[in-house]
Amino acid sequence: MASSYWESTQRKFWTFSKQQLNTERRKIEDSERNLVNMYPLPDRRLLSIYFYHQLSKMARPLGIRQQALATAQVYVRRFYTKVEIRRTNPALVLATSLYLACKMEECPQHIRMILAEARHCWGTSSSSSSSLSSLPHPRDALLLRLHSPHPDTSFSEVSKIGECEFTLISEMNSQLIIHHPYRSLAELQTQFQLTQEENALAWSIINDHYLTDLPLLHPPHVVAITALFLAVVLKPTQGGLQIHAASVSSALQTLGSMRSTGGGGGGGGGAGGGGSQNRVQKLVDWLAESSVDIEAVVECTQELISLYEIWENYSDKACKDSIAKFVKSRGLDK
Amino acid sequence: MFTGYNTKKRVNERYKIIGFISSGTYGRVYKAEGRNGHVGEFAIKKFKPDKEGELQYSGISQSAIREMALCTELSHPNVVHTCEIILEDKCIFIVFEYAEHDLLQIIHHHNQPQRQAIPAKTIKSILHQLLQGLVYLHKNWVMHRDLKPANIMVTSAGKVKIGDLGLARLFYKPLQSLFSGDKVVVTIWYRAPELLLGSRHYTPAVDLWAVGCIFAELLSLRPIFKGEEAKMDNKKTVPFQRNQMQKIVEIMGMPNRDRWPLLVAMPEYQQLNTLAAGNSRFNRPQGLENWYQSCLKNNQYPQGASPDSPGPEGFSLLQRLLEYDPQKRLTAEKALQHPYFTAQGKPSENCFEDSKVKYPVRRVSQEDNDIRTSSLPGTKRSGLPDDTLLRPAKRLKEG
Repeated sequence: MASSYWESTQRKFWTFSKQQLNTERRKIEDSERNLVNMYPLPDRRLLSIYFYHQLSKMARPLGIRQQALATAQVYVRRFYTKVEIRRTNPALVLATSLYLACKMEECPQHIRMILAEARHCWGTSSSSSSSLSSLPHPRDALLLRLHSPHPDTSFSEVSKIGECEFTLISEMNSQLIIHHPYRSLAELQTQFQLTQEENALAWSIINDHYLTDLPLLHPPHVVAITALFLAVVLKPTQGGLQIHAASVSSALQTLGSMRSTGGGGGGGGGAGGGGSQNRVQKLVDWLAESSVDIEAVVECTQELISLYEIWENYSDKACKDSIAKFVKSRGLDK
Repeated sequence: MFTGYNTKKRVNERYKIIGFISSGTYGRVYKAEGRNGHVGEFAIKKFKPDKEGELQYSGISQSAIREMALCTELSHPNVVHTCEIILEDKCIFIVFEYAEHDLLQIIHHHNQPQRQAIPAKTIKSILHQLLQGLVYLHKNWVMHRDLKPANIMVTSAGKVKIGDLGLARLFYKPLQSLFSGDKVVVTIWYRAPELLLGSRHYTPAVDLWAVGCIFAELLSLRPIFKGEEAKMDNKKTVPFQRNQMQKIVEIMGMPNRDRWPLLVAMPEYQQLNTLAAGNSRFNRPQGLENWYQSCLKNNQYPQGASPDSPGPEGFSLLQRLLEYDPQKRLTAEKALQHPYFTAQGKPSENCFEDSKVKYPVRRVSQEDNDIRTSSLPGTKRSGLPDDTLLRPAKRLKEG
């Protein structure tokens, strides 16, 4: 962990307790009670999944890297702790977050390219089954647009992004530097000699944590340790990196037993088995000796479990429609 | 209703502009006083919109974004403190604590009306504070990349503050190599040899070379390597800075593989050989030690160890900073541990302590003190030229 995190604005101003976060959110919801009642929205995590899909759609043709995408996700999450979502055009906020994140992560994109991708991705009607791998090629965008002559939540000018950038920076008080768990993972990876599969799994768990409130709740190294722990305990199979709530739950048992025995032995109980036993034990021992907050790791794990549980209910269309509803009827796309 | 950006704070409500300080490619800097119980003096940097005459939002430049983010994040007694950032009507204002002096102005004062050396204690304190600021920046993965006397502020209480993070960047595993971002970095006289030789993956060591150059300039009151900048002929290619490299070699001698093993891997390595051809001075360089001794003599520092002289330890430190091989060059942290800072008494925390020299206050121009309207679309002011004292072109005439 770079020494800079401990003195960072991320730690000082953008890390909350669950309670604080709830209070903040209730405050902005209460100030817009009518809007909130009029336009119900899916669970925040489902919306986050939708946002992530939209960001990825914009990012992919431009070759934008994961870290910039992650920074954009954190910007969106921070912004919506300060501004009621129903007062905004999420398409614009997402595009602007990505534009700003690319500059901060030293992979700048021209504002016109971001605008073009944003229009493409919000201006065409995508079926709920469209997955990231079947994205249309950019040059098909025009064709697609012809099929849906009324772009729903799109916006058309560069100056909109430019203006939204001012809003975004102002709401974040110019605190734009984000510390990500990827760096900690890279350091831990060598220490624990992760296999390629384990590392990939840990990496994808970190990617997933941006769909939850965890980036606002815990320091990046705690998230990295959680991801590492889950990756080793779950032992990725050839089946890919699919993670299920059930398997994470069994990993949680391991942590739980560790907590109850004061961190000593008895680890590895519920999960893995066989060859992974040793590594799990090594990890458990290391965790016990380190000053890492085990409670926090447990909390992170639980947060991830509930993400994977709710993910089953995800519907692209439901998110899209509920957003379109308030954006269109309130004229936020104008 | 979310119709657009609403300014929460207004510059003119919070600050009274006293006058104009300087301008550069980024925009303009003003001196200001707080209003309405907001006490103190401030320097406000106003970024001009990306394109002159821009009346619409067109996106903030990456360098402005970097500077805003870094200024907000950083906090150290030897780095200029950022009080707040105001976004108002398509303009960005960064409000800094005010510093009455800077090293360029201090060096300038000692050159006029006749040359008079800067007290050795003052130099030691300046260098000590500068390095502490730099340790902090480097610990936080920030490379300054544009250290030069004009960017080192000094308050009237003798506190040294590193300023102008306009070119600074984070260097922890950037997504793009540092080279691909901005091709030209660091004012040429302070530019490290690896940069002159086209290195693509340079390190914080470039800042330490600049510190070495600044140290030398504080001692001699003149830039040690005062080259002429080769201008870019077209926008695509960055020219080899032949003259600047020559100035370095004339004193330091040719770099070679023994002193700098990775030298041959430098993109402009071949240029270095053509530099040597037919120039006898390269075979008989002055040598840094000779340069140092004649500098002490010219500026009447006592020879040998004394609190009133940088002494032999000063030379040793200078030599370790002006090391060709960036890997062998002292780090900021190591430089602070150098005996120079302990041999003849500890450096003072106030660089003006025991000094009888009185420095003039910063020049402030009255002709432009409307921060809100000035320099809007396309006005290029007469009066104080850009960076009054600061530009190499200007300073070439001083000598």
